[in-house]
Amino acid sequence: MKYAPFFGCMITVKYPQMEAAVRKTAQNLGMEFVDLDGFSCCPDPIYFKATDKLVWLTIAARNICIAEEAGFDLVTMCSGCTATLSEANFHLSNEPELKEKVNKRLKKIGKEYKGTISVRHIVTVLRDDVGIEKVKKSVRRPLNDIKVGIHYGCHLLKPSEIMRVDDPDYPTILEKLFSAIGAQIVHHDKQALCCGKACMSEEIPERMTYDVLTSLKKSGADCMGLICPTCFDEFDLGQIKLSRKFNQDLTIPILYYFQFLGLAQGLSPQEVGLHLHKTKTDEIIRKLNNSHS
Amino acid sequence: MKSINYKFREKLNSTIGGEAHNFCYQCGACVGDCPAAMYSPDFNPREILLQAILGDEKTLTGENSPIWNCTNCYTCYERCPQAVRPVEVIIALKNICYQKMTAAPEVREIVDSVKATGRTVKITSLSDRRRKELGLKEVKIVPMEELRELFEQ
Ligand code: SF4
Ligand code: SF4
Repeated sequence: MKYAPFFGCMITVKYPQMEAAVRKTAQNLGMEFVDLDGFSCCPDPIYFKATDKLVWLTIAARNICIAEEAGFDLVTMCSGCTATLSEANFHLSNEPELKEKVNKRLKKIGKEYKGTISVRHIVTVLRDDVGIEKVKKSVRRPLNDIKVGIHYGCHLLKPSEIMRVDDPDYPTILEKLFSAIGAQIVHHDKQALCCGKACMSEEIPERMTYDVLTSLKKSGADCMGLICPTCFDEFDLGQIKLSRKFNQDLTIPILYYFQFLGLAQGLSPQEVGLHLHKTKTDEIIRKLNNSHS
Repeated sequence: MKSINYKFREKLNSTIGGEAHNFCYQCGACVGDCPAAMYSPDFNPREILLQAILGDEKTLTGENSPIWNCTNCYTCYERCPQAVRPVEVIIALKNICYQKMTAAPEVREIVDSVKATGRTVKITSLSDRRRKELGLKEVKIVPMEELRELFEQ
């Protein structure tokens, strides 16, 4: 199975540990990545989209064209990139007038959007192409004793009309993927809350993050598992700031799904870049090692 | 009774995603699960749609417009029975703010970065070193000459 990976800006530059974890684990699942040249920022669905939707769509379409020319589906690792590229792909393939407008612009650089490929967040590839069974089979050190609070974030699921991934209110895709690697899943009150990152007030996202973290800690989870670098930003770096601000210990390890998968496949914490996180992950590693000693 | 500013509504109609504001019947289904409304009494997507229907340009596209508190979570898009896609109307309003130079300052910062480098996040010697340590290849180059053609109208 060959795919064109789209790592975007946040992962490539700010959180390359996520890229390392994806590349190493995907290989163990028989996924083949064909790295294409010429991608830009997706462009981001919050700030860039807020300036001019037509320019936003055109630059997104340019990225899609690169994958179309090569003939591979685009696989995204960030919920923001997923949102932009999926929305653009959806609108351009369903609205001929819009497509014409965008193609007129793309013509200046010799490109044309055709609508021949799909955009998919990598977790959907794991569920639908690789298969949960194969994910399970790749595990050498199941995360037996580790309790994970899942954070879905918004853009993997919504708008469901476009994303077509899962029930947007009661999703199960990540439960399936975390169960496959042996983790115990812990539910908590605020697990469906948005990370708040896109809100441009200072106070609102802080209170949202605070509520998610306190609810997560109360649930007895050892850590949070997520699939988006923007949510990661809000919770990993964010908890340090908030702990200071509220004079309360809100720290809890935050990991990207493919880092968990890597550990379960037998990769070392270093190889999946856990040392690059703001919050200490020693406790999880200790638990993992204990359960396999 | 306020008079309706149709000129502003026309402008909204001609902005991508803005036209659906016409179909809002003020049921409020978009409000209950809106996180920005939960966390701020000043934010309410139904009210934003009402202001759009009235063409209240000043409130919606002025310096302190409430629209910037939306978290872009897309829950209202799921809930609205009229396919108004409130969040897309809000983003259309943001597009109008950007033209009027009243957009939140964060927007310009990020967009300037994309226009200069093709990315939202700057590559630094630290980020290069980290990639190397993790066994990753160097970041690929963004063909800026192509991108620049597309930033132009
Ligand atoms: S997208 Fe914005 S308006 Fe809609 S529910 Fe989320 S925060 Fe509220
Ligand atoms: S749910 Fe739709 S129709 Fe109802 S108030 Fe909100 S935008 Fe208007």
